[in-house]
Amino acid sequence: MDRAEIEKRVKKVVSNILGVDEEKITSESRFVEDLGAESVQSLELVAAFEAEFDIEMEEDAALQVKTVGKAVDFIEKYLKQ
Amino acid sequence: MKLVIYETETWIDLTPISYIRPVFELKCGMYTLIERIINTIKIKDTGLYVRDYLCDLVRSRYPYPVNDPSFLQDDLLIIDGRCLVDSDFSFTPEREAAWFFDNELAYAFIKKENVLKHSENGFKSILDFAVGLPRIETKTKIMHFPWNFVLENSEMLKKDFISKGKKGIEGKFSNQAVIHGENDVFIAEGADVHPLAVLDTNSGPVFIDKDVKIFPFARIEGPCYIGEGTQIMPGASIREGNTIGPFCRVGGELEESVIQGYSNKYHDGFVGHAYIGEFVNLGALTTNSDLKNDYSTVSVYVNGKPVDTGSLKVGSIIGDHTKTSIGTLFNTGTSVGVMCNITAGGILPKFFPSFVWYVNNKFMKGFGLGEMIKTAKAAMGRRGKTLSQEEENVIRKVFEITAEIRKTYVTKSFRAK
Repeated sequence: MDRAEIEKRVKKVVSNILGVDEEKITSESRFVEDLGAESVQSLELVAAFEAEFDIEMEEDAALQVKTVGKAVDFIEKYLKQ
Repeated sequence: MKLVIYETETWIDLTPISYIRPVFELKCGMYTLIERIINTIKIKDTGLYVRDYLCDLVRSRYPYPVNDPSFLQDDLLIIDGRCLVDSDFSFTPEREAAWFFDNELAYAFIKKENVLKHSENGFKSILDFAVGLPRIETKTKIMHFPWNFVLENSEMLKKDFISKGKKGIEGKFSNQAVIHGENDVFIAEGADVHPLAVLDTNSGPVFIDKDVKIFPFARIEGPCYIGEGTQIMPGASIREGNTIGPFCRVGGELEESVIQGYSNKYHDGFVGHAYIGEFVNLGALTTNSDLKNDYSTVSVYVNGKPVDTGSLKVGSIIGDHTKTSIGTLFNTGTSVGVMCNITAGGILPKFFPSFVWYVNNKFMKGFGLGEMIKTAKAAMGRRGKTLSQEEENVIRKVFEITAEIRKTYVTKSFRAK
């Protein structure tokens, strides 16, 4: 899966969980400050990314990811493993 | 003669409450199963056999040899740690025999020569030999499932009150508090029953252990055991058949339930026919159903599969260190794993794998095991307890063995969306 495809799917998941229009989500968008994610929604995002990409992420590290772009990097790393 | 108290792979049928303790530490009436066995059988030379991952933890808790083959060198009475031993227990040390309950080996007496013959191949080999011995049916029950503890609790409380042999008031009992009924009461030293509390003994005795506080307007029905250091909050309705404590705080309505210890059900809300592990915190108004609206028998998930309890009344089985939010409503016969975090939101599922967070109607993995252990340490610290390295190792092992079922539920939650 190439990076563009990962980013597209990440934005779709973020849009579903946080209720934000996909076109308003950029690589620089911060989950908490820009997209309004509450702590519980961060947990939902981690679980939803795992289901979307069929991967299992380490929670502590996953929850340190602050932006959409960094989430794409993080997921890309898991997909390469 | 030596005594061996053992558990087999059947411990899984007692999950979630057996995940982080041996089956013989589960409680019915005033005692744990091992306390009953030791107090009744009175054989000083005792050894224990438990699943591997509990070995270090059990060694740290008991003065007995654990999983030690060198112990198996004498006449042996071996007893399944799930046995609910009481004064009816009997065996004949003259000849070898195996006592069965419900078609399952409960205990056996084996002569030294046969012990030595089979011990070389491990304790399992002794168990296999015992199954083939002359068979005797016993009345000593085996506790197969968590709800057995709840359903037997009232009768055991009555028997235990008699065998304990204590009655009267040694602690403080306000002259404005009331004892109502024919049965006996025992209030231990250091306990304090405040004005306007009512102890109703019409259906059985009430045993209040040391340093318990019963606050005003609480009503406690017998049979009941309130363990050391427990607080019964103002206005609580403690209905018949409860074992609480030690060191719990209980308010609201509680009926025919066992709370292992160090747990809080501080506020209003009904909990009935439930078994609650240690360091559980039930948020205000947490309530469980214990009776179905169609009056059919209740089924409970055991290790992820539904089992018909055959009983019309079964509430929740809640594993250690689990926490619920305010307003959590559990369906009849719900099983909640250890270290879960459950938040209310509509009708809840009937099975929660251990270590899940249940939020917005979805299963999640929460902030991870590291954070969960931090929380457990904080919760235990509030009660002056520490999480030992052995306990932490057991929790980490249980996290590992429950990973697959947890993943199934988490993935299903998000795939379904």
